[in-house]
Amino acid sequence: MRYTGKGLTRRGLMRSAMATSGAALVAGMPAGRLLAQDEPEKPSEIIVRAWGGSWVEALKAGVSNPFTEMTGITVRHDLTEDNEIQPKIWAAVAQNRMPPIHVNWDTTTNATKSALRGVTEDLSDLPNLANTTDLAKPVGLDGYPIVNTYGYVYVLAYRPEAFPDGPPQSWRDLLDPRFDGRIALYNDGIGFHFPAQVAGGGSLDDIPENMEPCWDFVREIKALNPLLGEDPDFTAWFQNGEIDVACTISTNALAAQQNGVPIEWTVPQEGCKFDTDGLWVPQGLPENELYWAKQYINFAISQEAQQVWLDGLGLPGVVPGLTPPEGLADDPSYPTEPEDFENLIRISSEVQVQNESEWFSRFKEIMQG
Amino acid sequence: MSTAEAVRTDTASTATTAVSVDGVDMDFGTGTLAVRDASFTLETGRFLTILGPSGSGKTTLLRLIAGFQTPTRGEIRIHGQRISAKPPHKRSIGMVFQRLALFPHMTAAENVAFPLKMRRHDPATTPDKVDAYLRLVRLDGLGDRRIHELSGGQQQRVAIARALVFEPDLLLLDEPLAALDRKLREEMQLEFRRIQKELGVTTINVTHDQREALVVSDEIIVMDHGEIQQAARPSEMYRNPANAFVANFIGVTSFLDGRFDGGALDVGGVSCAGTPVSKLDPGSPARGAIRAEQVRLGAPGTTLEACDTQLDGVVDDVIFEGERLVYVVTVPALGDAALRIYHHDPAAQDLYGAGAAVRVGWTEADLRIFKKTGEPA
Amino acid sequence: MPDRSFRYPLRWHVMDALERGADILWPATFSRMTGWLLAAPAILLVGLLVLGLIQIGDASMHVLDTSTFRMSEAYTLANYADAFTSAVYFKVAWRSLLAAALTTALTLAFAFPYAYAMVRTRSATVRKALLIALFLPFFIGQVVRAYGWLIILGNNGIVNDMLGVVGVEPIRLLFNFPAVIFGLVQYMLPFGVLMLAPALTAIPEETEIAAGSLGASWPRAIWHVILPMARPGLIGAGIVVFTLSLTDFAMPAILGGGSQDFIANAIYDQFFRTADQGLGSALALMLVALGSLIVGAVFTLFGAGTLALGARK
Repeated sequence: MRYTGKGLTRRGLMRSAMATSGAALVAGMPAGRLLAQDEPEKPSEIIVRAWGGSWVEALKAGVSNPFTEMTGITVRHDLTEDNEIQPKIWAAVAQNRMPPIHVNWDTTTNATKSALRGVTEDLSDLPNLANTTDLAKPVGLDGYPIVNTYGYVYVLAYRPEAFPDGPPQSWRDLLDPRFDGRIALYNDGIGFHFPAQVAGGGSLDDIPENMEPCWDFVREIKALNPLLGEDPDFTAWFQNGEIDVACTISTNALAAQQNGVPIEWTVPQEGCKFDTDGLWVPQGLPENELYWAKQYINFAISQEAQQVWLDGLGLPGVVPGLTPPEGLADDPSYPTEPEDFENLIRISSEVQVQNESEWFSRFKEIMQG
Repeated sequence: MSTAEAVRTDTASTATTAVSVDGVDMDFGTGTLAVRDASFTLETGRFLTILGPSGSGKTTLLRLIAGFQTPTRGEIRIHGQRISAKPPHKRSIGMVFQRLALFPHMTAAENVAFPLKMRRHDPATTPDKVDAYLRLVRLDGLGDRRIHELSGGQQQRVAIARALVFEPDLLLLDEPLAALDRKLREEMQLEFRRIQKELGVTTINVTHDQREALVVSDEIIVMDHGEIQQAARPSEMYRNPANAFVANFIGVTSFLDGRFDGGALDVGGVSCAGTPVSKLDPGSPARGAIRAEQVRLGAPGTTLEACDTQLDGVVDDVIFEGERLVYVVTVPALGDAALRIYHHDPAAQDLYGAGAAVRVGWTEADLRIFKKTGEPA
Repeated sequence: MPDRSFRYPLRWHVMDALERGADILWPATFSRMTGWLLAAPAILLVGLLVLGLIQIGDASMHVLDTSTFRMSEAYTLANYADAFTSAVYFKVAWRSLLAAALTTALTLAFAFPYAYAMVRTRSATVRKALLIALFLPFFIGQVVRAYGWLIILGNNGIVNDMLGVVGVEPIRLLFNFPAVIFGLVQYMLPFGVLMLAPALTAIPEETEIAAGSLGASWPRAIWHVILPMARPGLIGAGIVVFTLSLTDFAMPAILGGGSQDFIANAIYDQFFRTADQGLGSALALMLVALGSLIVGAVFTLFGAGTLALGARK
C-alpha cells in the first residue's frame, strides 16, 4: 500500500552515492560483532519484503547495499504487498515450513498482529537497540518482537490553488461544498479515524469505547462523495487534477511534490495520526539465516543506516542526532522534539490491532452506503 | 417460348400474365453468367417447374423472381409490377424453402399464423384461417405440435400452409422435396399438385428431378449453364426435346454421333433412319438421340416389324429395375455404340442373358437428329 | 507398369510412429479406460477446486480472535450471522447484483448487433475488421484497460479536453457507479460477441429470408424470429457475462473511486486488510452460493440446453 509509481529522484541518486562512500565508516560500529570468529555460516542471500518505488530505493541506499558490502550477503527485495505476504507467512509458520522472506518491512499495526499471533522472532538482543529512542519500542507488546524504525504522519495534503487564503486550519475546512468529489481518503479510512474523532467533537480518550463523533464526521465527509484509494491513487489523482485534498502519509506527498505535482501539506488544529513502521523476522528460519536477518535489522537501526534510509523517505528515525532532510527541519510531518508531537495523535498498537477491523467495517459501512 | 416472347407492359394485356421475365442476366462476378438472357412468361394459375442439374442457374432464377437478388440486366414483373418496387416483406409471394426454414420456437399453428400476424390480417379471422390451411395440408389436430415433434412430411406440409395462408399471388418452391426419401417425395409431389389445383395459385417450382417436373407441372423450363434450353408442356417436352441436352436430361436416351447426310444420320458409313429436329446442313456433325422405350428388340435373324433401321447387337448387361428390364446392347456396326432398351414384360423374365446376340431397330420418327453442340451432360 | 502416382504422406508416417509409441505406453487393452485417462487432468483440477472450497467452508466457521490473530477452535456460524446482518454487505451484494444485471443487459444489447453484423456480412474484409476490433482489447488485460479509462475519462483526459473545446467545464466521469458499469460493459463485450456469434451462425440465413417473405420487416424478423432462435446463445452469453461481472474485482476497484465495492472487493478486504479469513471465507462462499443460485435458476427456467448441452438442432 505504498507509493510505487516513481523511480529514483535526483536527490535519491545523490543519497545512494553518499551511502556507498560512507560504507567504510559504517564498518566501525557493528563490526565488532559482525567480524567475530564464532559467527554462523553466511547464506548467499537474504530476502527482505519492501514497498516499491522510492520506498525500496531508499532502503537499498541506506541499509541493503551497505549491508551487502559489509557482509557479502546479497539482499533480495520482495515487493509483495504487506497485506498479501502476511497470510503467506502465517501459513508457513503454521505448517512448520521455511517462511518466504527473512525480514518483513511492515506497518507496526500489521506487525503487531503477527506478533500477537506468535510468528515473530524476539529481537530484544540486538545491540543497537541500546542507542534508540522510545519510538523503537513497540507499545503494548513484551520485549521486541518487532523493532520500529521510523515514524510518519498522516498529513492533510492539499493543492495550494484550491486554498487561496492559505493552508486549511481545520479538518472541518474540508466540509465546504466546493470540495464535493475532490477529497481523497484511504479506502479503509486509516489515518483519518482519530482526527475525525476530534473534528467530530469527541475526545481521543474515548477511543475505542465511543467513536460516534468520528463516525458523525465521516458521514459529513461522505456527503461530499470522497474518492477512496491507496497510496499510488493519491499521487495520480493529484497529478490529474482529480482531487484538491487528501489524508495521506507525508512520504507520498513528498514524493508527489518531488515529482513536480504542486502540493503542500499541513497538520490541522485537531491533529494528525502519527504511526510507525518496523522490521521483524518470521519464525522458522534456519539458525544461521536467523542470525543474519537479525544483523540486517541491527544495522538498519544504526545511525549511519537511518540517516541515509530516512533521508530518502523524509521521515524521522529512532536514533538521536539524525540530520533532517533539506526543508523538513521544522516541518510538522517531521517530528523530533517532544513539542513536535503535541499536535500528533498516537494510539497504541494494541488498541489499533484489536479494533482495526471494526473501524474499517464501520468506515466501509458509511462509505459504501 | 424458348425465345423471348414480346413482353407487354400495359395492364390490359398482362391481366392474365402472372410472371414475366424479360432478358434477365445475373452476374456474380465468377467469370460466367449464372443466368443468361432468361425470358419467359407465366399465366395466372399455372404450375411451372424450372428443371436443371445443379449449377444450371435454376435456383438463381427463382431467387431473382422472389426478389432476394436483383438481376444484372433485364426485368422481372409480377402482375405487371416490377419486383423491385416493393421491399421483400411487402411482396405477395409465398415461398417454400429448400430447408423449409420453419421457426423451431413456434408450434405448427404459430408458424402458419406468423404471416397473418406480420401482414396485419384481422386477428379475429386468423384462427379460422390457420385451421383451414392446416386442414388443406391435412394437418388438422396437429397445430399444437412443435416443429421438431413433426415428421419430415408433416414439416413439409406446415411449410406449404405457411407459404399459402396469406393468399399470395405467387407460390415459389425452392427444391423443398430434395431431402426427402423417394416414397415421401412422390407423395408430396402429388400433394403439391392437389393443393395447387385446389387453390389455383400461380406456382413456380425448382427441381433437378425430371420425374417431379413431369408429374406436377403445367409447364416446364429446362435450364443448363445459365440458359433456358427449352420451355414447353411436360408431354411436349418429353416427346419433342429441343436439343440433345433436354433429350438426355428428360427420359433415358441413347446417343449416336455421326454426320447428317441430308436425310438420315451417317454413323461410320451406316445410315441410320431419323428425323432432323434442328436445321442441319448436309455433311455437318450431328447427334442422334433415341429413347430407351423406342428401341425395339428381337431375336437374332428376325425382322423387326415397321423398323426403318435394323442392326445386330450383343447384350452387354441386363439391369432389373422391378417393373421393367433395361438391356444395354452394343452395336458393332455403329462402332460399338451402346443402346439402352426398356423391356416391359415382367412375365417373360430375362429374355436374353448377357452375351446373347440380338436384333435392334427403330423407326425414322423415333431417332431424333440434333445439331452437334457440346457433349451431353 | 503403371506409374505409382500415390505416395504415402509423411504426416501418415508420423502418425503411424506415434500410434506405435502410444501402444507401448498405453496398450490397446487399456483402451476402455482411455476416456478417463484424458479426462483425468480436468477431474484433478476440479477436485482441487472442491478441496479448496471445503477448506474455505471450514475456515468460514471459525471467528478471528483479535488478541492472538488466530482462528477460534470452536465451530460457529457467527461469520454468516455477521455477513447477513451487516448493512454494508447487503449494500455491496445488492450493488454487485444490480451491476451484473445492468452489465449483462447492456452487453447483450451491444453484442447482439455486433455479432449479427459479423456473422451476416458478405464481405470477408468487414468480418475480419470486426474480429480484429473485437480481439484487440481482448488481449489487453482488464487492469490495463481500466487504467486506460482513467486516462481517457479523467479530469484532464481526452473527453474532458474535447468538452473544454466547446466550453464545457470538466465533468466528473470517473469514480461512480456508471463508470464501473461502463468499464464492465466494455470489458465484457468480446465475451458476449464470442458467445453469441456461434448461436447466430447456427440460424440459417434462409430462416431470416423466410420471415421476410412471410411479411416480417427486418426489425420484426429480428424480434420475432432471430432473437427467439438465438435464445440459447443469449442465455449462455448472459450467464457468462453475469457471473464474470458479479465476481469482478478490478473495475469497481479502479473505476469506482473506492466507494463502489463489489462482493469480491469486500472479500479481498477481509483476507488482506483485516486478515479475517473466517469472515472472508464466509463472504466468498456466499458469493459462490449466490452465483450458483442464479445460474441454477436460469437453467431451471430455460433448460440446460442453453449451453448447447444436448441441444436439439
